[in-house]
Amino acid sequence: MRSRDGNLNFSLRLCSIILFNSLALCADEYLISYKYIVKDATLYNETLLVSKAMTKCQGKPQEEFILQNSAQGDLKELLSKNPEEFIEYIHKLGLHVNHDEKTINMQNSFTTIMTLKTTCFKVDFNDNFAIIAPLK
Amino acid sequence: MKSFILVAILLSVSTLMGADKTSTVDIAVIEQTNAELAKVKAEVAQIKQENQRVAEELAVAKAQKEEEIASKIASDIAEEEVLEKNKTIHISVVGQGVAPMNTSSPAQAYALAKRAAIADAYRAIAEKVKGVRIDGQDTIKNMMVQRSTVRTYVQAMVRNADIVETTFKEGLCEVEMEILISHSDFVQ
Repeated sequence: MRSRDGNLNFSLRLCSIILFNSLALCADEYLISYKYIVKDATLYNETLLVSKAMTKCQGKPQEEFILQNSAQGDLKELLSKNPEEFIEYIHKLGLHVNHDEKTINMQNSFTTIMTLKTTCFKVDFNDNFAIIAPLK
Repeated sequence: MKSFILVAILLSVSTLMGADKTSTVDIAVIEQTNAELAKVKAEVAQIKQENQRVAEELAVAKAQKEEEIASKIASDIAEEEVLEKNKTIHISVVGQGVAPMNTSSPAQAYALAKRAAIADAYRAIAEKVKGVRIDGQDTIKNMMVQRSTVRTYVQAMVRNADIVETTFKEGLCEVEMEILISHSDFVQ
């Protein structure tokens, strides 16, 4: 005959397994945003934000990008090792261009803001490679 | 009494004579003025005719010019590339960027200048494909321009642009970029 405490342990184990599995399922999804500002033809500010998705993302993986997996499952580390390639890939995916130019008394100045809105990326870490793909 | 009457008659006669003289003088002046007026009127009529002729000539010239402009616009439109179904348009631009003053190495300067040049190239593509919004404002005080402002805006989403060539010379980075635009890119 089962005791009440035994049942509690069983349900706790079950819950922890469900929680662990759900976290494991979301672990390969990242939210990435990118922005840089160019002021008078000079790069002024550049930001790349990477964070793990706290909830499961919707959508199907689109154009894939493959990087050599040298970071053992850490996307931030992997991107910091290959920043140029990843930023080139982001440019390919598409950026919003916001350009504002002013000419006051014949003196010209301009600001261009390039933005990638926060996008969910699915990242599959294999033994040798990491496959990154945006979910749309 | 007799002398008084005589003097009165003489005065009245002299008055009458003087009035006649005055009236004859006035008529001559009026006739002369009338003649001058007629001459001026004729001149004015001639000038009016000339003006009318010039206006007609101007109208004809204007119509010809408008026709020329219309035909030129029509030919320009005919020459302009139109994005049709199953066709692509190739757009090529060059973006320029400079490195900031406080860079730690030439490599960093190159990387930053290249990023700025890429942004400029994207802006150029957006301008070509989507167009530019322009606002202008001039402030004039006491018949003098105080402030002249021109603002331009570009907003677009650009993807699948390719970098063809990158050059970096004397702190200036130039990026040649191209993009192929197809009809399906714009279909919602």
